[in-house]
Amino acid sequence: MNREEAPGKSQEDMYIQQKVRVLLMLKKMGSNLTPSEETFLRNYAGVVHSQMSQLPQHNIEQGAEDVVMAFSRSETEDRRQ
Amino acid sequence: MMSMQMSEADSVVKVAEWQQTYYASDSGIQSGATTARDDESSTEYSGSKKYTSSTATCTANAPTASTAGGGGDTAAGGPDSPTDLEAQYSLTRAQRVRAAMFPETLVEGEAAMPVQSDSSQQSNVQRLAEPSQLLKTAIVHLINYQDDAELATRAVPELTKLLADEDPVVVNKAAMIVNQLTRKEASRRVLVQSPAMVGAVVRAMTTAADMETARCAASVLHSLSHQREGLMAIFKSGGIPALVRMLSSPVESVLFYAITTLHNLLLHQEGAKMAVRLADGLQRMVPLLKKSNPKFLAITTDCLQLLSYGNQESKLIILANGGPEGLVFIMRNYNYEKLLWTTSRVLKVLSVCPSNKPAIVEAGGMQALGQHLTGSSQRLIQNCLWTLRNLSDAATKQEGLDGLLQILVTQLGSDDVNMLTCATGILSNLTCNNSRNKTLVTQYGGVEALIHAVLRAGEKEDVAEPAICALRHLTSRHQDAELAQNAVRLHYGIPAVVKLLGQPHYWPVVKATVGLIRNLALCPANQAPLREAGAIPRLVNLLLKAHQDTQRHASSAQQTYQDGVRMEEIVEGCTGALHILARDPINRGEIASMQTIPLFVQLLYSYVENVKRVSAGVLCELALDKQSAELIDAEGASAPLMELLHSNNEGIATYAAAVLFRISEDKSSDYRKRVSVELTHSLFKHDPAAWEMAHTAVALEPTYLPDDGAYPPYGYADLTLDTLPLDPDIHETYIPDMTYDPRQAYPEPL
Repeated sequence: MNREEAPGKSQEDMYIQQKVRVLLMLKKMGSNLTPSEETFLRNYAGVVHSQMSQLPQHNIEQGAEDVVMAFSRSETEDRRQ
Repeated sequence: MMSMQMSEADSVVKVAEWQQTYYASDSGIQSGATTARDDESSTEYSGSKKYTSSTATCTANAPTASTAGGGGDTAAGGPDSPTDLEAQYSLTRAQRVRAAMFPETLVEGEAAMPVQSDSSQQSNVQRLAEPSQLLKTAIVHLINYQDDAELATRAVPELTKLLADEDPVVVNKAAMIVNQLTRKEASRRVLVQSPAMVGAVVRAMTTAADMETARCAASVLHSLSHQREGLMAIFKSGGIPALVRMLSSPVESVLFYAITTLHNLLLHQEGAKMAVRLADGLQRMVPLLKKSNPKFLAITTDCLQLLSYGNQESKLIILANGGPEGLVFIMRNYNYEKLLWTTSRVLKVLSVCPSNKPAIVEAGGMQALGQHLTGSSQRLIQNCLWTLRNLSDAATKQEGLDGLLQILVTQLGSDDVNMLTCATGILSNLTCNNSRNKTLVTQYGGVEALIHAVLRAGEKEDVAEPAICALRHLTSRHQDAELAQNAVRLHYGIPAVVKLLGQPHYWPVVKATVGLIRNLALCPANQAPLREAGAIPRLVNLLLKAHQDTQRHASSAQQTYQDGVRMEEIVEGCTGALHILARDPINRGEIASMQTIPLFVQLLYSYVENVKRVSAGVLCELALDKQSAELIDAEGASAPLMELLHSNNEGIATYAAAVLFRISEDKSSDYRKRVSVELTHSLFKHDPAAWEMAHTAVALEPTYLPDDGAYPPYGYADLTLDTLPLDPDIHETYIPDMTYDPRQAYPEPL
């Protein structure tokens, strides 16, 4: 683990970076953003650009997976003709 | 030749014996007397009871050449003397028979019949054939005396003995005679009452040196199998193992008699099924599916159905012997309706067996059964549909089902409830996790057809549930999902769907409907129609009801189900639907106005991962509104949300973070820093820069930084963040623990 001091990143910068990531992921999951959040993202366009590559590729918010129905629980009665 | 001479000698002995007990009168072959008998169903003998008249002509005719040889006293040696003939004609028919059978009872004046003695001019063949002719004639005469039971009774033991004779020729002839006897009801009745006789026939069939004997014996058993007593007699004489052995015969007629007799036994004789199974009947029958006679195949498949219905072991034996492939081949290649029907019945029986199911599917069963859904035979169509329905959950990955899917969509227009039940069920399963099938069904007009099926289903859950499930599948995770979401609205499906949330609640339908509504809400154009149809209050009320139920049973270890559905599933489904509905600002306001925020915050504490996810999700949407954000904070959501930042589930952590950001907008920078640090140790802990920042940051909370300088593990699984670019495509390549999978939380299958 690298324990050397990080070059020039303040707590505030960290907060911004994290918030940008979270908001981008929200967008990817189909959620809405507030107008101020949209503005926030626009303000940090440079950060956004670098953050985009960090996001997971798959679409997370697809909802429940399909599930089969098991019909063959018992034999249906068979009347001989 | 030696053996021939030996058997010839034995035959001569036997002739002598017969001649003592039966009259050695004219067999009719030399004299032209007919060998007629009373025939109800005879095919070999023609004519009627002409015995009296025929004997009248016997003296007039010269001996006729016959390969069967001479009879009685009219051999080539010359006609009888006038005295003999006069003696013959002086006796009545009954007296003649009696004279032959019971010579000791003859009254004065009656003469015994002259015995054939001059055999020197007969050929070997004639001499061999002679006893059989005598036998035949004797029996013919016996048959004419239907009401003389004693006569018939005397013949049976003799025939029984002859059937066990060492001489195969004798056995053959005896078998032929018995076969003739079975053609007449009176004599048949006598035969079935003799277990020894039936047993002798069975043994003769099994040990037959020649095919003709085997065929005759098999024919006897076949004839006897049309009566209850006959079936019992065959069963008790060990006929079943013998008949099963005959299923390996190369002779088609033997095969036919054997399978038909076994079929009759299986249909009407108690204990026959077990006996056939024990005799390895299934192992012999399945290979017969390769035969090409449709009627034979119909009987064989019916036997398989009788044996395997309700018997798991039989089904496995059929599977082990290639049954599925053989049966599917028949469905694919024959047109004979009865055969298709009997075969479909076997497939239906096998289709409930978990081992046979995949084998039938792999052999192309779905496609083969699908070939017969548009014919004129209703019983065949229905059987195929039930079988397809049973198989469908094992066929979700099958290709080449385009035609079947199209037919099923058409059948959704039917009024027949059985057809609807099957069509909706099959479509529901075939569209499960199969994006190609989903797209095809959507393109075939499946959405509209399913909506109409829902409307016609009414309270029939067996139709409604799979129809709604199918719509739910069609409205997500394929290229035309959006098309399907719009189609539901365009075909006036939204009110019908929302109505299904009402009372009386059949929970599987409710659960499916809630999932469908969630998918419909993904389409912005559906948000208002859903609201106008009253979806939100219905969902909220269901959520409250289900949640109360889970709280009531929270203390008990037992999990409770209603109609097979757990209330946790309803909680999750309703919250999930409200989450997506909350994307619309007006809906958002309506949801919040129903005092749902306290409940959603409470759900953050659920032990069910997916419930945590959807409640964090809905709170995330609600927190877009300032007022709601404040309410969320006031409910003490921060604490559980901070916990959720550490969730393995990336979606949960993201929602939690978003809510925290939104409720921290007006908070102090200390609060924001705390959130940030918490994020660093959770969602972004693999981010090196963030990690470094955590080191150098002012320690706000002692618990977040270790005392000894080393970082202890936080006890949760690593999060992996891919480094590929943003991909908006909807694909089904999911990392399982990242998907919203209701099955994850539940140890039992849903």
